[in-house]
Amino acid sequence: MLVWSRPGRMLIWAVFALLFGVLFLAPLAVILLSSLAEQWNGVLPSGLTIEHYSNVVRGAAWNAVNASLITGFLASALALVSGTWAALALRVQDATLARVLGVLFFIPSAVPSVSVGLGLLVAFSHPPLLLNGTIAIVMVAHFVLISAFTFGNVSAGLARLSPDFEQVASSLGARPAYRLWHVTLPLLAPYLVAAFGLSFALSMGELGATVMVYPPGWVTLPVSIFSLTDRGDVFAGAALTMVLVAVTLVLLLGLERVAGRQTRS
Amino acid sequence: MSVPAFTGSNVMDVDAAKIRGAGSNVHFDKVSVAYGAHVVLHPLTLDIAPGEILAMIGPSGSGKTTALRAVAGFVRPASGRIRIGATDVTDLPPYERGLGMVVQNYALFPHMRVEDNVAFGLRAQGADKALIGERVKDSLATVGMSGFSKRYPRELSGGQQQRVAIARALAVRPRVLLLDEPLSALDAQIRRNMVEEIAKLHRDLPGLTILYVTHDQTEALTLADKIAIMRDGRVSSHGPTAELYRRPPNRFTAEFLGRANLLPVTVAEGAAGPKGLATAKLGDAVLAGVARGEKPGDKTLLCIRPQHLSLTGDEEHTNRIVGTLREVHWQGELTHLVLDVDGTPVRVSATRLPVSLPERGSAMPLFFTPGDTSLVPEDVRG
Amino acid sequence: MAEAAVLPASPALRRVPGRFWIVPPAALLALLFFYPLVLIVQQAFLDDSGMANVAEFARVLHARFFLNALLNTITISVAATAGCLIVGLVLGLILAFVPFPGSGVIARLIDTFIALPTFLVTLAFTFLYGSAGMLNAGLMEVFSLRAPPVDFLYSTWGVVLAEVTVYSPFVLRPLLAAFSLVDRGQIEAASVLGARPFRIVRQVILPAAVPALIAGGSLCLLLTVNEFGIVLFIGAKGVITLPLLIYSKAIQESAYQVACIIAVINIALSLGLFGLYRFAAGRMGM
Ligand SMILES: Nc1ncnc2c1ncn2[C@@H]1O[C@H](COP(=O)(O)OP(=O)(O)OP(=O)(O)O)[C@@H](O)[C@H]1O
Ligand SMILES: [Mg+2]
Repeated sequence: MLVWSRPGRMLIWAVFALLFGVLFLAPLAVILLSSLAEQWNGVLPSGLTIEHYSNVVRGAAWNAVNASLITGFLASALALVSGTWAALALRVQDATLARVLGVLFFIPSAVPSVSVGLGLLVAFSHPPLLLNGTIAIVMVAHFVLISAFTFGNVSAGLARLSPDFEQVASSLGARPAYRLWHVTLPLLAPYLVAAFGLSFALSMGELGATVMVYPPGWVTLPVSIFSLTDRGDVFAGAALTMVLVAVTLVLLLGLERVAGRQTRS
Repeated sequence: MSVPAFTGSNVMDVDAAKIRGAGSNVHFDKVSVAYGAHVVLHPLTLDIAPGEILAMIGPSGSGKTTALRAVAGFVRPASGRIRIGATDVTDLPPYERGLGMVVQNYALFPHMRVEDNVAFGLRAQGADKALIGERVKDSLATVGMSGFSKRYPRELSGGQQQRVAIARALAVRPRVLLLDEPLSALDAQIRRNMVEEIAKLHRDLPGLTILYVTHDQTEALTLADKIAIMRDGRVSSHGPTAELYRRPPNRFTAEFLGRANLLPVTVAEGAAGPKGLATAKLGDAVLAGVARGEKPGDKTLLCIRPQHLSLTGDEEHTNRIVGTLREVHWQGELTHLVLDVDGTPVRVSATRLPVSLPERGSAMPLFFTPGDTSLVPEDVRG
Repeated sequence: MAEAAVLPASPALRRVPGRFWIVPPAALLALLFFYPLVLIVQQAFLDDSGMANVAEFARVLHARFFLNALLNTITISVAATAGCLIVGLVLGLILAFVPFPGSGVIARLIDTFIALPTFLVTLAFTFLYGSAGMLNAGLMEVFSLRAPPVDFLYSTWGVVLAEVTVYSPFVLRPLLAAFSLVDRGQIEAASVLGARPFRIVRQVILPAAVPALIAGGSLCLLLTVNEFGIVLFIGAKGVITLPLLIYSKAIQESAYQVACIIAVINIALSLGLFGLYRFAAGRMGM
């Protein structure tokens, strides 16, 4: 406790409330409100409706939800496998190589997503590697962008894992595969779950690369929100954004619970 | 407590039975280990006899853990061979060495119940269900943890986790049990109990060879048949526990194993007295001590343990030195006195004190039996 | 790991298991990321006939649209990072040292902002500060104005404010971690000795926070340079950044070589900032 006087504390908390309210609370609240708005010309909407939401479960919007969920799931699953694989395999390399490769695995998170999309367009627009125009290119773009995060999360988990567990397992006669499956991966589970949740969330909100590569018929939520608001259909855009936020939060919180249970047991 | 039964049906078990009957020795043959250019184990040759408890002690960083991990297979020797029984295990991966290992913080698998922890090794080796069940029961019984099989490690105290870790290692019927500071995470009281428990465990499983790494000399003295004292990656001394304590071969050993007063003496003319004694001079005093082949005129150290110094003389305590009393520390059971003898601080542990102790700063005689002493050469290095 | 060989032992001993397991994920990443990256660089320096051509590169480098975008990108990034540092520091100090009931929950809530799409904030800002937004509508009603008085949203500052909102959690996170290591006893001792809060912040807390600020700040620089969604959603004519320029050249104008040239520069800038971040984070021990 740094500030002891009551008025002082009140003042500081007021500052906090203002900052938090303006920066974080107001945006969420206003999106929620506008997603329910009938018309909004004054300070407050002129009426409330759930029409924008009921539109979501029909037609294009619903396709976007689907596209985003499928893309997010597949890309995150692939990123989880490859990130975990890479993090585990890096441990047996010698130190310098491991450091260099570790940085290389992180680099996709450092370049602008638009250029990842551009690169995919440049590289995979001709046979034999023709991905342009397919759904796969969207998955690939998402995979590339989130792979660094899963790799980072799993590496962090591995770094925190005492080598004793695996060594004791080995000394008891567990072969590498058995040890991996029964000791290393279960102990990493909380990190794996967290990594999956985070990459899913990132994939759900990805815009830069998607907007470069998406084929017609595979419009993800962010792209669809953008085209809605670009057309001036802001309320529908807000409703779709709320759906995106809700799905993301449910996923994150749900996975967090799973991870929590994992660590407890 | 009975030795857990084993069935002879399993292949792995037949092997284990042979080993258990005869015990398995561990042999370091000029094993050296280096991290890059940094040599942490100089060519080490050492043998642990079947069924023996060897305690490896030494200061921090002296290479104890390294030696143990070389046996376990986690450190690859730069040169030399390691044999367990008749097998050269140097090139075997850890999981083919048939060892049990217990580490400092136990490393119980937190996501498994106690019984699954104990069953882990057998399951990993593909043993059959009935055998696993039986072994788990036996092993837990051996360490007195039968009632805890359904618990998770986090629901156990440190001492209990320790027992489970030992049970887990025993369940695979290891040829050798490797213990790396297994008690250092426990507090003093529990540690004393656990030392006794491990001693009892070894009485129950006399065929089990144990390599016990510790920096606690009490644990080593209590448990070990033999002790190897490590210093800077080398074995400074190695021998039967009592022998090493009574007749330390060098200063480092004398000081590391128990407390020692080391008086600088010069071996007198016409040494080699009766009963292997030599006479040596400390200033004007002529003392007798157990010799180690010294020649007259050699400068050496006379080692005498604090508890062997007496404040009163009789016909046995023929050695007599005089010192100046510096400090008196009363510790309940014992009283520690520190005297200054010719510039060397000399420590005395007395159970009984004379009715009147001289003032601090005044001279005081000390008596001891020649048979309790030994002449110890000064270390060549350091 | 200690399992690795420790000396160049005899060849028979060199049996490090699983060294080659790194190949599949590395190959996947090489194919899907580094190969396209190389092609971008190649395209930037080759003309349509496949000849090396630096002239186009030089032309773009001197073009007005590029220089404008570069300047915008840097201005926005620096301003937003400064904002993130200030906001993050203020929020962090309060959450860590003047906590209130529920501050833990609030901290977690701010943290989840990291996972939300960035354009959400922009969209919200149009409702809040847009020309027909709540703020303008309110002001016009109260002061009976004709035209919306608040008009910063469709400028650089709109983007900066949005980015501050989105990225200050990235400063807050390492800051809170650093603050949790500050010795409470030291602060209490200082306040018992009569030190004023500002003094304590300056002399005890800030020094402990510097590595976290540097790490968080360099991460913010990187992320704001790369930010796309916010700028796209605000859609102001005058506010074009490098990522947006890549998008519009490639998708709207189909000028792939120009897009690749800009991408090369943008990637170089990003990688430089990434290096800075790794360095800073490494020093913080993250
Ligand atoms: N992975 C490693 N890389 C480099 N040096 C190491 C490594 N592991 C141990 N060492 C070094 O090897 C030497 C011996 O270490 P070791 O762990 O065997 O000591 P120890 O006798 O067990 O000490 P302690 O009582 O502290 O456990 C030390 O100097 C240590 O710094
Ligand atoms: Mg050790």
